[in-house]
Amino acid sequence: MNRRSISFRLVAWYAGLLAGIFVLLCASLYLDLRRFLVNDLRESQLRRAREIGNTLLVHVKQTGESYVASQTEDWYDPEINDRFIRITRADGTLIYTSGKPKDGSFNPDEVPKLAPSPHVVFSRELKLSGNKTLLVAALNFKSPGNPTYLVEFGALLDPVNTMLNHLFLQLTLGLPLAVFVITVGGYLLVRRALTPVEQITRAAESITQHNLSERLPVAQTGDELERLSVSLNRMIARLDDAFQNSKRFVADASHELRTPLTILRGELESLAEDPRLASEWRDRAAILLEEAVRLSKIVEQLFALSRLDAGEAQTDWSRFDLAELAKTTAEQMGLLAEDKNISIHCEARQPMPVEGDQVRLKQVVVNLLDNAIKYTPKNGAIQLRVSAVNGHVVLEVEDNGVGISREALPHIFERFYRVDQTRSIDSEGAGLGLSIVKSICTAHGAEVEAVSVPREGSCFRIKLPLSKN
Amino acid sequence: MRILLVEDEKKVADFIERGLKAERYAVDVCHDGRAGWEMAEAYDYDLVMLDLMLPELSGTEILERIRRKNQQVPILILTARDGMDDKVKNFELGADDYLTKPFAFAELLVRVKALLRRGPVNRSSVLRVGDLEIDRLTQSVKRAGKKVELTAKEYSLLEYLATQPGRVFSRTMIIEHVWDQSFQGLTNIVDVYVRHLRAKVDDAYPVKLLRTVRGVGYSLSDGVTT
Repeated sequence: MNRRSISFRLVAWYAGLLAGIFVLLCASLYLDLRRFLVNDLRESQLRRAREIGNTLLVHVKQTGESYVASQTEDWYDPEINDRFIRITRADGTLIYTSGKPKDGSFNPDEVPKLAPSPHVVFSRELKLSGNKTLLVAALNFKSPGNPTYLVEFGALLDPVNTMLNHLFLQLTLGLPLAVFVITVGGYLLVRRALTPVEQITRAAESITQHNLSERLPVAQTGDELERLSVSLNRMIARLDDAFQNSKRFVADASHELRTPLTILRGELESLAEDPRLASEWRDRAAILLEEAVRLSKIVEQLFALSRLDAGEAQTDWSRFDLAELAKTTAEQMGLLAEDKNISIHCEARQPMPVEGDQVRLKQVVVNLLDNAIKYTPKNGAIQLRVSAVNGHVVLEVEDNGVGISREALPHIFERFYRVDQTRSIDSEGAGLGLSIVKSICTAHGAEVEAVSVPREGSCFRIKLPLSKN
Repeated sequence: MRILLVEDEKKVADFIERGLKAERYAVDVCHDGRAGWEMAEAYDYDLVMLDLMLPELSGTEILERIRRKNQQVPILILTARDGMDDKVKNFELGADDYLTKPFAFAELLVRVKALLRRGPVNRSSVLRVGDLEIDRLTQSVKRAGKKVELTAKEYSLLEYLATQPGRVFSRTMIIEHVWDQSFQGLTNIVDVYVRHLRAKVDDAYPVKLLRTVRGVGYSLSDGVTT
């Protein structure tokens, strides 16, 4: 699971927060309940101690101490009610102490005697044998004209503790379970909420420069995701518009330039050929004519590119042997290479059937070879290879020429890009040759890539699907 | 020979008219489609040149109307469009040739001559330019009686230039004819071949037959015939 994904972080935060809140809540519930129950027990013991004081000890002068003892025994029946009662004189001698409870839950003899205390009311928790805890409330009872008596009234804390232990167990078992259920539920909810995001992402990734007319699916849910996909679609539409505009601009511009260029060329041609002009003037006209011809060539190439952009390569589709095409092209270009004493070695033994526009694919080979010849110094060598790799035909043109610098390499297929801005060997062209190669390859679903080491050479590689039947 | 030129761009029409008149053709020029169609209907032309985008009546429309009358007159389309669809459509409608702007006038002239069946219909088996002899059957070349050894491409180039001695061929035309359109834009290949051809055909002789016409192309002539 991706730890940085929104679903993971959302669920982690959510589960963590909930677990924290639950722990705090349970702890405070447990402690509060415990305090409340212990207090309640203590108060009820104290209340009884006061009862003994207010009803019996007040009249001790008249009734005598033994009456107090017997009445206490009668009223509270401590052996049956599991209570501990002890009444002591100020000097520590006993008036009354309760016996062992009938169920034997504790032994009252284990309760230690109290040292005289200045406090009127106090309580203590006593650990007795058999792991019992006795809560004993004590009252120093004074009444006018009577001696001071210490009344102790106690009850076992164990029922309260048992209940609290049970609650503690319930909470410690229930809490992780609750957190687990909440986490799983939360994860499923988040997953469900984010599935459209996943779909939008996939659809957005499949949209490239070549299928900008496609749009993302819009789920009519009225939520944020619908808005997101709608705005993404608007953005794609704007991109599409921009691309279309730039393509249309190239097509329109190259079209609009044709008529003025025709006039320029026609007039300059007639001037350059006019025998009535001095040869110096005819030469100048010829220079202008050469430039006009170069301009026309650029316009021609731009127009070819805009037609490839418009997907017109599909008109002349056929099946042919790329190996044969490479061989004949290399032969036809042989003289250009020979002129610089460059050898072209062609390695294309087996027939490689491909499907495509033969004239345009030949242009790819021509442009690549022409480039290789231009950028390879005298006595260099060029390798032209056609081979089959994993159901694809790979055509490579490798030279040992000047190479391409690392900075220039990513840009060489861009329109009008020149590797060397100041002194280009290719004074004729306009830097469109390789972008035409790229456009033709794209129109054929082929990949084109270039690798190069400066001063050692370059290699251009084209990967076309092999024709099946 | 009478030629009708229908072209709404006056400056384009001007230089074509001037150039054709210098070649001693009679040329009528119309600047809109309707006038063009009326002229084509009224007179018997040897050749009609049509621009495609015309006011009033498009070039394609005129082409259709002329062919509906079943006229055999050759029609050359001049256009700024060069979409494949356009080309195919106009050929289907009966155009004989198609020239995309911008073009070299020399190229236009070669095509005009071809359409008027005066140009490359030189079907004789031996072409002669000065003391150069090209035998089309054996594909052998002799200069001043001495055999000249040429490669296949050099031969095709020389033969093409010799079909119309004195006529200037643009590099584009040479590439389309001797190579194929994949080499378009690779005009230096023509220069290299011409250089090699010169070394074999011209260098040893005082009279140079291969002429470079700057900005346009090449021609083969002995300086006497034009």
